[in-house]
Order: sequence, then C-alpha cells, then structure tokens
Amino acid sequence: MNQKKETLTIIIAGFIIGTVASLLVFFGNSKNMGFCIACFIRDTSGAIGLHRAAPVQYIRPEIIGIVLSSFILASAAKEFKPRGGSSPMTRFILGFFVIIGGLMFLGCPFRMIVRLAGGDLNAIFGVIGFAAGILSGVYFLNKGYSLKRTYKLSMTEGLIFPVIQVVLFILLVSAPAFIFFTEAGGGPGGAHAPILISLAAGLIVGALAQRTRLCMVGGIRDIVLFKDGKLLSGFIAIFVSALATNLILSATTDVSFFKLSLAEQPVAHTDGLWNALGMYLVGFAGALLGGCPLRQLILAGEGNTDSAVTIVGLIVGAAFAHNFGLASSPAGPTLNGQIAVVIGICVSVIIAYMNTFRNSEK
Amino acid sequence: MKTFIATFYSHFAAVHFKKEIDALGLGRSRLMPVPRSLSSSCGICVRFETADPAPLERLVSEELEQIARVDGTEYITVYRAQDG
Repeated sequence: MNQKKETLTIIIAGFIIGTVASLLVFFGNSKNMGFCIACFIRDTSGAIGLHRAAPVQYIRPEIIGIVLSSFILASAAKEFKPRGGSSPMTRFILGFFVIIGGLMFLGCPFRMIVRLAGGDLNAIFGVIGFAAGILSGVYFLNKGYSLKRTYKLSMTEGLIFPVIQVVLFILLVSAPAFIFFTEAGGGPGGAHAPILISLAAGLIVGALAQRTRLCMVGGIRDIVLFKDGKLLSGFIAIFVSALATNLILSATTDVSFFKLSLAEQPVAHTDGLWNALGMYLVGFAGALLGGCPLRQLILAGEGNTDSAVTIVGLIVGAAFAHNFGLASSPAGPTLNGQIAVVIGICVSVIIAYMNTFRNSEK
Repeated sequence: MKTFIATFYSHFAAVHFKKEIDALGLGRSRLMPVPRSLSSSCGICVRFETADPAPLERLVSEELEQIARVDGTEYITVYRAQDG
C-alpha cells in the first residue's frame, strides 16, 4: 500500500470513528464522552472494586470490543504475535502517570478531540499541553531515547489479555453482586449506551484502529520527527466527523450535542493551566511509551504484553486517582492531583534521561 | 541502486543502524515510520539505498528484525530475525 492510499484509508477510518463516537452519546454515553479510553478504563477499574468512587463504576464494553477486535483482525491477518519484555516496569509506571494526567484533564487524547468537537474550548488548553508533552518526548527521542527491545513470547502469554476481556464481558452481562455499577443518573458511569451498541462501537473502532495504526501521540510525533502527517490526518478526520454528527444530531433531535463555551461543559473543568499540564503529562509519557492509550489497547490485542502491562498501569493509576483524590471533577482540580501531576512529570523526565543518555554511553 | 527498509526491535537500534549505514557511505538513508503493509507495529524504520547489499551482513545484530527490498509498492523480505 503506498503512502497516499494509507493516508486516504486513515482519513476514512477517522470519519467513521468520529461518527461512531458522537452516536454513542446519542445512545446514552455521557456528553462529549462518546469515546474516552482513560475514562472507560477508570470506570472498569471502579467496577471491579479497585476504587470506590460510586459515580464512575461500569465495565465498559467499548474497551472489550477494541481489544477483541484487534485480536481477531490481527489473528486473521497473521499479525497476532505474542511479544514483550521491553522495560515492563518502566511502561507500567508511565501508564500509571498517563492516566493521572488524563484524569487531571478529564480525558485521554481521544476524548480531547471529542470534547473539542462538542464545543468544549477547555480542550484547546489540553491540545497545547499535549503537543508540548510530545515535543518533550521527541527531544529525548532525537537524543537517543529508547526502551529495551521486545522478545517473542509464548502464545499463552499473548492470549491472556484478550481472554481477560472475555471474562470482563461475562462479568458485565451476568452482573454478579461483587461488581459495582453506578446507578442511572448517579454519574458518568451510569450514563452509557446499551451493552451491544457499545460493544459494536468498540469492535468497529478497534478494527479500524488496528488496520490503520491510528494513534494520537504518533500523529504529532511523526509530524515533528518525519514531517509525516498520515496519522494526524486520522484524528483531524475524527474531529470533523464528530463535529458534523454533533451538529446534525442537535438539529434533528430535541437535545443539544454542541455548546461552544469554556464554562459548564459536561465532565470538564475550566482551569486552563491544569488542563494543559495534565495533558502535557499524557503527551510526554505517551511519547516515551510510543503510543496513546487507544494504541496501547490495539497493541495489547495483537499480543503485545508490554502494552498489556501499560494498560494495567492505567488501571492501577485510575484506582489511585480515585482512592487518593487525584482526579479532577467539574469543580476543578484537587491539590493532591496537582502534586501527583508534578511528580508524574518529574518521573517522566527521570525515565527519559535514564533511557537516553545511558543508551548513548554504550 | 536498490531501496531497502530495515525494521528493529527498539527505537535506539534504528537510529544506530542509520548512523552505521551513513558511515559506510552506501547511499541515501532516512528514518521514517514503518509502512503499514510491512508491519502492524508502529515503530520507526530506516529506508536506505545501496547498489551492493553485501556490506549489510556486517550490520545484522540481535536488534534487527527484518530487511525488505522495496519493489514498487511491494516489500520483499530479504532478511528476517529467527525469532521475528
């Protein structure tokens, strides 16, 4: 496939994904949260009791769909390759801080675009911080930053993460008493599309992202490193189609899906500095990881256990964020959260430094 | 001149390989994202030109995943690591 065809495929995929994201809000997800990998992982983390924040507990079928779709497609295309061993603890810690940054801003890079498409101008601060974070990562990449190499692993090793998704789906459908679900109207966790629609949306987005390698971190990184706008064009397409779908839904239904403002945006706060710093951490740690949370889910579905470890870092980070009051709320960021984001940035700098200049000494 | 693409198990190995290729003075080389049809992974690769691929044997390391020859829009694998 040549470059032009690859770009066109990514743009078409972006258009479909943006439409799916907005339709998920129409079918019941929180506003401007058709898709948010960080929020959905936080909800799932709460559903299995790792944190007890009652408003954000639900096993999100979208995540399950994304991973299983990637697994199925990769298997069919002989691209399912169990591998890992590339600095797993470093990836765990970076994943941990990606979600700390994401929950400061209240969204992952995907939701940042979805929020913009819903008219939430606070996301602009997020975009600025996110791009700055990736530039920080690119600085170290240019200096020789690299995590250690991956190794081929057994089939069993690669299958564990997709199988966990099947177990989670069984828990979602059977809803045993030990799983926590936010009640309808009780918070973002209680606002969700019907299970099968969410699962189908996850399967569609997962398939498109697996085929195109869509990645928000990669998008900005490739523009800066290689002047290659392929991946970024996918996210611009997501923004355009989500915006168009929001406007069409607003015009054809009684509900508004678009409001251009800073104040009173759904599941958002107006502290520009901390919106930017939260996403700075996501961009920086994401660039060091080599991919945004969506991309990590896709890679985990393809048998990449390093990405699976990163997702476990996200899950544990989400639990910490709610157990220790680090996550923001519409009222704004918390002091604990601000301290955690600063620690996260410091840890990312140390990780970047140790894996850059120690490499070049060899 | 033939064009090749080399993929690696780490970012550092790709950067290092490019430096070695340039030191050999084989031909033009550049770092770029791995083409989708070559791999579902999203690392970086080295695209380079050479009239004589023989010196490449010296550059094979445990960090090198594969080398493919670019033939129009097709990629023909000429080297793949045993565990690749």
